[in-house]
Amino acid sequence: MIMHLHKYEKIWLIFGIGSLIVFLVVLGYGAFWQGTHPQSHGVTIDPNNIESNEAFKPENLGLTKVSDDKYIVNIAASAFFYDFGKDEEGKTVNHIRIPKGSTVLFQVATKDVVHGFHVAGTNVNMMVEPGYVSSLETVMDKPGTYTVVCNEYCGLGHHLMYATVEVYE
Amino acid sequence: MQNLQKNNASEKEKPDLKGTFVSVMILGILIVVSWIGAFALFLSR
Ligand SMILES: [Cu+2]
Repeated sequence: MIMHLHKYEKIWLIFGIGSLIVFLVVLGYGAFWQGTHPQSHGVTIDPNNIESNEAFKPENLGLTKVSDDKYIVNIAASAFFYDFGKDEEGKTVNHIRIPKGSTVLFQVATKDVVHGFHVAGTNVNMMVEPGYVSSLETVMDKPGTYTVVCNEYCGLGHHLMYATVEVYE
Repeated sequence: MQNLQKNNASEKEKPDLKGTFVSVMILGILIVVSWIGAFALFLSR
């Protein structure tokens, strides 16, 4: 069978299969050694009562410092708003500040429909589905102000859904 | 041209796949380059 293959066919088959192997090795390395996986990895939550989960109690929303360079950000998404909790003065938080080089764990849940959570310009890009907790840990090492956008169409006010994350030196 | 004809005669009318080869490789390289581009973007962010 192999004998009947044209010389060029052999070359492009080797090229194609070789590319596939390289791709699968990179994918497998990411998945099994580096723990890359879909952002809503089977952690469930009651979408009608996300407050029943410790992380999404109103007082636990927003930015929390865990240790010197570790932070957790809990966000309750709903049409058409990201709830980062309230500051000391009782004002709605729509902007968080994180020191450069911090490890940040984003945890997001939705109260209604599917939303997106994308810290534009970073790899923090998640789908937020009802019934699941989406989480992603990242190191914020590039200073700047990033806009958090909803990139899953969620209704008429979709474009109004945003917040900002500032990484400062 | 003469070479080609000689080859054709000796190798029992093999199809000429040069054009196919070039287009397959162009497409393959395009796919690989765009994949590397997306992956580099992922790694750099
Ligand atoms: Cu939306």
